[in-house]
Amino acid sequence: MWETITGLISGIISGTGMGGGTILILVLSIFLGIEQHTAQATNLVFFIPTAISAIIVSIKSKLIEWKIGIIIALSGIVGAIIGANISATLAVNRLKKFFGIFLGLIAIYEIYSLKKEYKKSKKEDNIKEK
Amino acid sequence: MLKKIFIGMVAGLISGLFAAGGGMIVVPALIHIFKLEDAKARATSVFAILPMVITSGIFYYRNDYIDWDLGIKCAVGGIIGGIIGAKLLKKMSTKILRILFIIFLGYTSIKMICA
Repeated sequence: MWETITGLISGIISGTGMGGGTILILVLSIFLGIEQHTAQATNLVFFIPTAISAIIVSIKSKLIEWKIGIIIALSGIVGAIIGANISATLAVNRLKKFFGIFLGLIAIYEIYSLKKEYKKSKKEDNIKEK
Repeated sequence: MLKKIFIGMVAGLISGLFAAGGGMIVVPALIHIFKLEDAKARATSVFAILPMVITSGIFYYRNDYIDWDLGIKCAVGGIIGGIIGAKLLKKMSTKILRILFIIFLGYTSIKMICA
């Protein structure tokens, strides 16, 4: 039951376009006590069908920039092989710490972009008033 | 060209390491460096990340980390949640959701680093 609720929450976050995968991994590992590697692997199972359906919709609405996307995808495969190899040899507590640092950086970036958007919308309001 | 390769490598590395978060590298990069609009950046990002996720999935599968029962239970909720989320995105500002997301990330990152 809790597993499905976790999926539901991550799905809502993913649908709005903000790192649902990180939420899924966090809730599974911190609140449901699932081993970090397994929690991460679960996110992969979770991501693939969701992504395929999203890509089909995006192709239809012509939203994909193929030239950029293909190059990033190809070099990403190389990166993923390196990353997955490192991850498999990494002890769980180490992996958790690195993940924690990564999340902290994302939180900082999110604060920065939220602030930027706030400023922008304020500016637009000012223009409208004038 | 080099920029694209570099972004792909970094996103792939993160994807492989954490099995998540590749999009958090690719989406901002596409918006700020390649000046794509938001919807295009997100769509291109999902397309670019899928092969990385499949690649790391093969590694996790080989190391026997995949718990199919757990994955399917989560996916059931995820599909329903995805529909709700996409509808919410159209109807309301996601500002409150984003602030909650930041608080949650901040709290858990400290917890994970200090654990």
